[in-house]
Amino acid sequence: MDSGQLVNFSALGAQFLVGLSRAMILFIVCSGMSFVLGVLRVPNVAHGSLYMIGAFSAFSISTFLGGSTAGFWLALLLAPFVVALVSLIAERALFCHLYEREHLMLLLFTFALMLIFGDLVKLTWGAEYRSIMAPPFLRGSIPILGSAFPRYNLFLLMIGPLVAISLWLFTNKTKIGKISRAAAVDREMVGAVGINVSWVFAVAFVIGCFLAGLGGALVAPTVSVTLGMDHDIIIEAFLIVTIGGLGNMWGALVGSLIFGLTQAFGILFWPQFAIVFPYAAVVIILILRPRGLLKAVW
Amino acid sequence: MKKKSIWAIIVVVVIIAAIVVYYVTRPPKIVRAIKVGIIDCYSGPAAVFGNDALNGFKLALNEINKEGVLGSKIEFTTRDTKFKVDIGLSMAKELVMREKVDILAGTISSGVALAVSDYVKGEKVPFFVWISKTEQLTMAKGHRYVFSTGENTYMAGKAGAVALAKKPYIKYWIAGDDYSYGHDIGNAAWRNLKQLKPEVEKIGESWWKVGEPDLIPYITSIVAAKPDAVIFCTGGASMTNVLKAIKATGMAEKVPIWIHTATDHAVLKPLGAEAPEGVMGTMDYHFYYPDTPANKAFVKAFQDAYGVPPGFPALHGYITAHFIAEGYRKAGALDKEKFIDAVEGLQLDSPVGTIEMRACDHQATLPMYLGVTKKVPQYDFVISTDIITMTGAEVMPTCEEVKEARGK
Repeated sequence: MDSGQLVNFSALGAQFLVGLSRAMILFIVCSGMSFVLGVLRVPNVAHGSLYMIGAFSAFSISTFLGGSTAGFWLALLLAPFVVALVSLIAERALFCHLYEREHLMLLLFTFALMLIFGDLVKLTWGAEYRSIMAPPFLRGSIPILGSAFPRYNLFLLMIGPLVAISLWLFTNKTKIGKISRAAAVDREMVGAVGINVSWVFAVAFVIGCFLAGLGGALVAPTVSVTLGMDHDIIIEAFLIVTIGGLGNMWGALVGSLIFGLTQAFGILFWPQFAIVFPYAAVVIILILRPRGLLKAVW
Repeated sequence: MKKKSIWAIIVVVVIIAAIVVYYVTRPPKIVRAIKVGIIDCYSGPAAVFGNDALNGFKLALNEINKEGVLGSKIEFTTRDTKFKVDIGLSMAKELVMREKVDILAGTISSGVALAVSDYVKGEKVPFFVWISKTEQLTMAKGHRYVFSTGENTYMAGKAGAVALAKKPYIKYWIAGDDYSYGHDIGNAAWRNLKQLKPEVEKIGESWWKVGEPDLIPYITSIVAAKPDAVIFCTGGASMTNVLKAIKATGMAEKVPIWIHTATDHAVLKPLGAEAPEGVMGTMDYHFYYPDTPANKAFVKAFQDAYGVPPGFPALHGYITAHFIAEGYRKAGALDKEKFIDAVEGLQLDSPVGTIEMRACDHQATLPMYLGVTKKVPQYDFVISTDIITMTGAEVMPTCEEVKEARGK
């Protein structure tokens, strides 16, 4: 295997950027999952389904608006809200009645949601592959360090940190954010202070799902929008959230970076077994630090 | 008087006995319908192909059941395999044991197809495979009870190799989906290419999980290795991701690429104008080619019935139904063994010309079309152009090769 000729600066640099842009999508999706995990203490198994709904919604909105540039940006803006609405309905109608119950019930419920959403997507959009196109100035590639780097991935590299900063501002500077953080640490105290914990959960759940939808809408121009998307992303999301530290959003960032970069470099150095690298990294991390790299919220 | 009455009784008894013997030994008239059990994937990304095949099959049944087969109709029932081998196999067992189907048909997953093929060998129920492409079905693991009405990886690999051997490329990179279909296509293409052009060199391989959404890192690393040409071994949703990544990195303009089913309409349609041009592809059916009256009629009937043009699974489903009908008509009885004997060597008229169910391996002799992707003004999706047709005979393994593969 000719890895020798690949260890040149151009290939390494390009691959690093590619891994980084993949990590951005993973981070956006996993930060939502981490947030929900932190506040509700429940891993949302339906998170991948909401990501898929985000992608399909972006497709529908963009196609409805004729596939124009403005249509794309509107789709990107609106699709996460569509997903947030769907999750709000699911939460207020069904989920919130389970908060008093045993923990396992909540997990099972999200699993049921995953199955239901999966089939709802099939009913609504059918089984065909869908595809949306990025606006013209984000198509094609530009040469970076001698290798062709897709422009859309550059766009993702800018969006990722934007989302991270917005999230940080939200959880640290806004009232709701601070309450959510408090509820993650000690929900009884929050309830004792007179805040409606059920509403805090609703807000946290909807925000988490909003992020999943945003991830789905962002990833849509780079992949084929199909029915299997939910399963693909949920496993990675689970692993990233676990190695990052349960409920810790910076942990989600670290985990996403590890996952994205090990995958990108694995492909460069050992393409036949590239799939193994991120999972091997997960195994090593969990052996060394079973509770995740960063401090878990609980 | 006693003597006369004894004779009367004997005559009556003999008449009754004769009537009873006649009814008991008379061959039973077939008045029950022929049951076909279809196992295919109707969920997840493969569902678009499963549905297409089923629609082609149903379209054929509309025509067939008007005329009837053996005094009755062909009926079918479907089961969803969810692309999983254990589920597909248990569905097949249920169809054979509980529903008592006469014929099994399906599926897209090569894994499921091989498992069910193994099962029907013991149960002696004919199984028509109409989408999954692994060559093992009719070669190494072939047997009397399995038939293939789809092209297989051997044929695709050979067609691709024939095309690539004519080009000046020496250094190849092979990349694809890490499962049996991907590896089979890669092996078939490479094996044939090396035979036709011994100086070719494989400088590397990349394999990703099926349905991997982010292929940019793979593409960038392949381009960095500077191969003369790349063979991609992928299909379905994964293929759409490959084509998107190729377009995003502008790879098709830098490196020649060959992919089997690159020109598959199900893959190119969602991409629209965003599909890359200049990609070489082999395909065993396009609805827009050949421009013969038979194909046009088939496409129109399908479009009228289902609102979309037929894909290659529809063609396979369609000819499967006709093989079943003609096989039973020729056999003249609802007997599985007679049916198999009748179908072997049977020739049919199809939208792509005359197709024969070859007796030595139960593989339908489908033609292969080689083309290059190109944007054309009359469609808003990319199509295959400069199409070269290769007949089934040119791309299929010889009967001797099949015998050798089966270890006889």
